[in-house]
Amino acid sequence: MSWRAEVLAVWAFAVRNLLMASRNLFFFFELLFWPIVGVVSIGLMGRFLALTPADTAFILLGTIALSVVQVCQLEVSYAVLFDVWSKSVKHQFLAPIGIRHLTLGAWLVGMLRGTVIFGVLAVLGRWAFGVNVLSPGPAPLAVFLAGCFLTAWIIGVTVCALITLFGNRAEAFAWASANLVLVLAGIYYPITVLPEPVAAVATWIPLTHFLDAYRAHYGFAPALARPVLTGFALAALYAALAHLAFAGAVQRARASGLLLKMSE
Amino acid sequence: MLAVEAREVVKTFRAGWISRRRTPALRGVSLAVPRGAVVGVLGPNGAGKTTLLSILATLLVPDGGEVRVLGHDVRREAARIRRRMNMASGRPSFLWSLRVGEIIAFYGRLYGLHGRALARRVDELVEMFELTTHRRVPYNELSTGLKQRLALAKALVNDPELLFLDEPTLGLDPDVSLRIRAHIAGLRRERGVTILLTTHYMREAEELCDEIAFLKDGLILARGTPDALKRRIRLGDVVALRVEPPAPWLREAPGVLRCAEVDGWVECTVDDAERRLPELLARLYAGGNQLRGLQVREPQLEEVFVELAR
Repeated sequence: MSWRAEVLAVWAFAVRNLLMASRNLFFFFELLFWPIVGVVSIGLMGRFLALTPADTAFILLGTIALSVVQVCQLEVSYAVLFDVWSKSVKHQFLAPIGIRHLTLGAWLVGMLRGTVIFGVLAVLGRWAFGVNVLSPGPAPLAVFLAGCFLTAWIIGVTVCALITLFGNRAEAFAWASANLVLVLAGIYYPITVLPEPVAAVATWIPLTHFLDAYRAHYGFAPALARPVLTGFALAALYAALAHLAFAGAVQRARASGLLLKMSE
Repeated sequence: MLAVEAREVVKTFRAGWISRRRTPALRGVSLAVPRGAVVGVLGPNGAGKTTLLSILATLLVPDGGEVRVLGHDVRREAARIRRRMNMASGRPSFLWSLRVGEIIAFYGRLYGLHGRALARRVDELVEMFELTTHRRVPYNELSTGLKQRLALAKALVNDPELLFLDEPTLGLDPDVSLRIRAHIAGLRRERGVTILLTTHYMREAEELCDEIAFLKDGLILARGTPDALKRRIRLGDVVALRVEPPAPWLREAPGVLRCAEVDGWVECTVDDAERRLPELLARLYAGGNQLRGLQVREPQLEEVFVELAR
């Protein structure tokens, strides 16, 4: 495929996801309601527990990161879910495109939605709880958001692979999978509080490293060595594995006939 | 030059993780579709029609056999095939809240169209399939007929050389079916598109197809032109008579294969109408029977189908 065709195919999915999102009230609800509820309730809990400003920043950063990952990951999952719900899966696999176009197009919209929600929550965090999540500056912020978006892409593509492999039965993964990150990646607590074997697993999650790096700007000593580098390296590895898993799932669905079943 | 060349195609579906139930869908199907031809695949439900079409359209991977579409192998060169063909189904589904124009534009982009060329193509297809007044209507608000027309419009977005149509008039009112058939006939006539279609409707196959293949239980039982098939199956000619008083001996007359009473007519299938009709008429006059009506016709394709599906 030429570069122009590559860009056009990615753009096609981005436009499609944007149009779908703009026409569904539920998507706006999903974009704003739960993330705002999350930040407000966690912030209030911090106030009730009389946490220090630094500790409040610690948990609010985790909450915001989780919201950004969830919103962006859901959008990537929609790359397949929209077609599964409307039973139109076969049309896109009939076209001369690859799965990278589906996931990248949806990811673009996911990053847009993730950035919007980050902005909203940043304003809310500053106004309601006095936490400035932008204080580390543009470069660390860009790295942090890139880490969140990469994590979202990995989860989203894995969900796409599971749905393509198991059909509608795997739909629940779209909403449940990000919660695994919640437990393991040190969203509300440092991973040092986890039992040692679980903490070891947590170090294999890219978001753990990006959170660790960003929280360092708020005075928390990094628990991990070279968190940014390790985070990107892990993200690159998982992204490649998720892509291969999705490609394999599509190939299996073509062989098993699931691709057709999801279109009728 | 062949647009589709399938040899001994085999496909078995497996279900369940433990018991792995096996359902053979195609059991050695061979088919050749010349470029520019319209070929129909007919068969009862579960015959394997959609499976065959899906394999040719690269949506399904065959278990065995060799399949070449537009000169390319479906397993190894699927991407090359996809650029030059498209498919529409009689049970179309698209994203529910996208509008007619947006759906065509979305698929147009997947085939590399953009800017003015994309806008022109969308306009052209919307006009061709009389969707202009529905252009801004979301998909889930369209009638079944409009959805089918949209499916055909989408299937032409890449100006395909080869088109697969899976029961394109399924469940449509007769007048809408007629319009869809007219569109399909126009595609071959005006654009030279090779078409492979599956259908339940014999009249549709007779009207549109140069050749027909009968598929049953994953096997092609017969193929050829509609006329050649009728001859090959040797269903004979149908002589319909309205006689007073009734002549029960007709059933036993020489050359009569079977008789049935339909709305006061006695329809006799004879081995050769040219030879048997004078004999029957002579015997009727000799017996004092009065002939109130007479029709001679070739067997319907539907009768061929019923015969083959037995």
